[in-house]
Amino acid sequence: MIRNYFKIAFRNLWRHRVFSFINILGLSVGMSACLLIYLYVSFELSYDRYHAKGDRIFRVVTNIKTPTDTLDWNSASIPMSPAMKKDFPEVEQFVRIEPNSLLVSRGETKFQEDKLAFADSSLFSVFTLPLVKGDPDKALAAPWQVVLTETSAKKYFGTAEPVGQTLYLTGSRLPATVTGVMKDFPDNSHFKYDILVSMTTWTQKINPGLDDQWEGFNGFAYVLLHDAKDAPGLKAKLPAFIDRHIGKDLQKAQMTFTLDLEPMKDIYLRSKRGAPESGSLPNITIFSLIAVFILLIASINFINLATARSAERAKEVGIRKVVGADRKQLTGQFLGESVLLCMISFLMAVGLCALLLPLFNQLSGKTISHGIFDHASTIGILLLIAITIGLFAGIYPALVLSGFRPIAVLKGSFSSGKKGILLRKGLVVSQFVISIALITGTLVVYSQLTFMRNQDLGFSKQQQLVINFDGDSTIWQHYEAFKQQLTSLPNALSATASSAIPGQGNPTAYSQLENHLGVMQPTNMELFSIDYDFIKQYGIQIVAGRPFSTGFPSDSTRAILVNEEAVSTLGYHSPQEIIGKKFSQWGRQGTIIGVVKNFHFRGLQNAIKPMDFRIRPRDFSFVTVKISGRDVQKTIAAAGDLWRRTLPNRPFAYYFADEEFNKLYRSEDQFGQLFLNFAILAIFISCLGLLGLASYSTLQRTKEIGIRKVLGSSVGGIVNLLSKDFLKLVWIAFLIASPLAYIGMHKWLQDFAYRIDMDWWIFAMAGMIAMLIALFTVSFHAVRSALANPTKSLRTE
Amino acid sequence: MIKISDLQKVYRTEEVETIALNKLTFDVKEGEFVAVMGPSGCGKSTLLNILGLLDDPDGGSFLFNGTEVAHFNERKRADLRKRNIGFVFQSFNLIDELTVFENVELPLIYLGVKGPERKQRVETVLDKMQIMHRRNHYPQQLSGGQQQRVAVARAVVNNPKLILADEPTGNLDSSNGNEVMQLLTDLNEQGTTIIMVTHSEHDSRYSHRIIRMLDGQTVTENILV
Ligand SMILES: Nc1ncnc2c1ncn2[C@@H]1O[C@H](COP(=O)(O)OP(=O)(O)O)[C@@H](O)[C@H]1O
Ligand SMILES: [Mg+2]
Repeated sequence: MIRNYFKIAFRNLWRHRVFSFINILGLSVGMSACLLIYLYVSFELSYDRYHAKGDRIFRVVTNIKTPTDTLDWNSASIPMSPAMKKDFPEVEQFVRIEPNSLLVSRGETKFQEDKLAFADSSLFSVFTLPLVKGDPDKALAAPWQVVLTETSAKKYFGTAEPVGQTLYLTGSRLPATVTGVMKDFPDNSHFKYDILVSMTTWTQKINPGLDDQWEGFNGFAYVLLHDAKDAPGLKAKLPAFIDRHIGKDLQKAQMTFTLDLEPMKDIYLRSKRGAPESGSLPNITIFSLIAVFILLIASINFINLATARSAERAKEVGIRKVVGADRKQLTGQFLGESVLLCMISFLMAVGLCALLLPLFNQLSGKTISHGIFDHASTIGILLLIAITIGLFAGIYPALVLSGFRPIAVLKGSFSSGKKGILLRKGLVVSQFVISIALITGTLVVYSQLTFMRNQDLGFSKQQQLVINFDGDSTIWQHYEAFKQQLTSLPNALSATASSAIPGQGNPTAYSQLENHLGVMQPTNMELFSIDYDFIKQYGIQIVAGRPFSTGFPSDSTRAILVNEEAVSTLGYHSPQEIIGKKFSQWGRQGTIIGVVKNFHFRGLQNAIKPMDFRIRPRDFSFVTVKISGRDVQKTIAAAGDLWRRTLPNRPFAYYFADEEFNKLYRSEDQFGQLFLNFAILAIFISCLGLLGLASYSTLQRTKEIGIRKVLGSSVGGIVNLLSKDFLKLVWIAFLIASPLAYIGMHKWLQDFAYRIDMDWWIFAMAGMIAMLIALFTVSFHAVRSALANPTKSLRTE
Repeated sequence: MIKISDLQKVYRTEEVETIALNKLTFDVKEGEFVAVMGPSGCGKSTLLNILGLLDDPDGGSFLFNGTEVAHFNERKRADLRKRNIGFVFQSFNLIDELTVFENVELPLIYLGVKGPERKQRVETVLDKMQIMHRRNHYPQQLSGGQQQRVAVARAVVNNPKLILADEPTGNLDSSNGNEVMQLLTDLNEQGTTIIMVTHSEHDSRYSHRIIRMLDGQTVTENILV
């Protein structure tokens, strides 16, 4: 019996190749999209799940409250976590990680290691990060000890034995011994480093005294509890803990620190404080929904085409019933057919995924999977899903078909599938609702991206060649001379040095500024250290007061410029009022000498916060050369030469300010690209279904078309006749999809402090796109049959 | 074997009500060969469908082998049908996707006959109908006469007690038609009861008895010897 079912199923698929092809193509494309999204989502959900003690690990984070604002930081100061271990028996162990970027060398092999961190030895016992060589208890215990990942060990030592060898930190000055080699950090870690240096190197040798600095926030701290259930109780004790250790100092500064414990497993996706790598729960939700939608669209095609063809199958049903089949057997047969079709699609989907995976890794910006066949269980699940789709999509047509009364069918008085028409229309509408909503979403994402890229940032980012010298003292000690040499490079116009470039993070400086009431108000300011030329070269406008000037010797130590945001935060009505007011910040006191117009020193996702500029060469890390834009390569080459003469130890690292700024939108860019691709898929699958339905309905109306042509109808008239019905459906879908898309994208845009308004044209355009594609799809058949010779179609009757 | 009395069938559409069978009464004994004749639209096919348990009457009684079946539900009817009744239609009604062999095999599959026995029984009947050499062909590859022979083979493969034939020669030329009539006669001689609807006086002569119908009622019954 089963064999007979499959036999006839195969023959049916083959006889109706076009329909089968449309069905299988749609389903397999839908399934592979789903599989890819499934891999992506499960990769995102797998972050930090590999730690054996993960349930008991918590990140210690700090909220810093001043009278004006609250900063929710993801870090803890150096002494906090050791003190917690000492004070609380619940805490079994702590790990601190202090990220840094150092020049590391072994003879001529030199790398600027951006992914370097100082860390406690306990890292190897708290986290599941195994050492391949070395003693986990001692590898990072003493100062000047280094642990390399396998990849970086190969980078420095090739096949030679690294343990016991010496590497030099910060160029050639600080020797350190390699005491261990660890496995590379897994891809799904929210922090990943290439080189670990013992924490004591940082706290005792490079920054002696740091062990007592409770107010310095740069790195991360994790605690391992004996029992995860202790966390709430421990949290409750933390305010008293802070009070005991630094209550007095904080009171003086009008600040409060509130510590919190974040479960390790929540950091990557759920922490609002961010992490070296963090994911987005909304994006995961969006993509999961898209996966479900795409699968839905593909299943709808299946249902539609199957019921549309029911008239053709009716005769078979009638005969089978006459010779003895009962309804159950027929239902089984039709379900079997749809399951078979889904299995074929499934096999194709797995193949398609294997092909697309590298591309998808690239698109999503990470290696979500090394190969589709690593995921036997995932494939198993998808197979189950495929069978479920087969059953789900097959059940309706199966019930309809098996319900035919044999006499009606065999007598020919059977009217072809009129019953299903409303349902089919409804399903087509829902397909296009999804497609149009996705198209609208794509348009909104891209408009927002374009807006962010083209928005006037309040500073000039063009033709700014930025060279990162990573705070090397050779430069800042002689930077005037170096600047001179830079400005004399071909096509170089001017040069300026600074601690940061707009677009990158700045240290947040705890400051006290005189507010409109004359009170010194504690304020968190983002701080740029710059030289005298920065304001001019970056085209930042002064709205009150004056820029820094060498004419005023006190400018180099006792003056700051603030932005307009700081002016309003402090309660002033106009920028003029703040000129001459007092400030106290990070060891400096003096007056505010000028106000700069607000400019975007962060991506447009973030609102502009209060910030200030000061002069301080010691902080410099970057030089920016403004170039004319003529023969850029020559300028870069000359700068490189100059670099190698001045700093032979350091690799020449440069970029352009505008490119770097646009990188702030990389994740939005990726999101947009993924969105675009899935929207294309959705509309593609929807149109496949439409193509099938259109060809079917055209087929059914062949006779009508023939008669109309004989009576003198034009080709255009017939195309119109055949397309009208379908376009009406797209139009209805448009009316439903637009408000849905509006609501969804309105929510998405909330993440951006500066965002576009969703103009009507975005919706209109999405509707137009869908309409045109649908029209094209439908008229393909309509035109063909309109052009056909009418005598032919009439003869087939 | 069959005893119907006051059988009624009414078709209601939105506009009209058609009385297809109007208090029809007759019976058919086991082993008879009965021809039903009458003008188009008089209710012959309707009658055959009810006799074949494909359709249910609106009134009256239908005794099949002494059992009242007029109010059987679909499952019971299907069960009775597949064990006792074979059909032959004017338009053959073969499944285009299946070969000759598979078409004939179908009733046995639904009866739950095991593979080897099925094969043997199908081959026997194909042999008898002289289309064994076409066993792997598809219906479209056969002539009308051959297709109807396949249909007859399919109707008899499960050894039904009753064969219902609705204008079995209607789509055939006379020589093919005669062949099919010969097959039916042979079957009847082997004991199968046959009820056949036909327009052809020629074909009706193969039967023992002719029931003439008009507007859903029997008008005469001629007994042929
Ligand atoms: N499904 C149906 N719906 C409505 N009327 C029907 C249907 N089937 C048959 N009829 C009507 O019932 C009458 C008898 O039809 P039928 O039994 O097919 O006649 P015959 O086979 O003798 O030509 C006819 O008038 C026909 O129009
Ligand atoms: Mg008839």
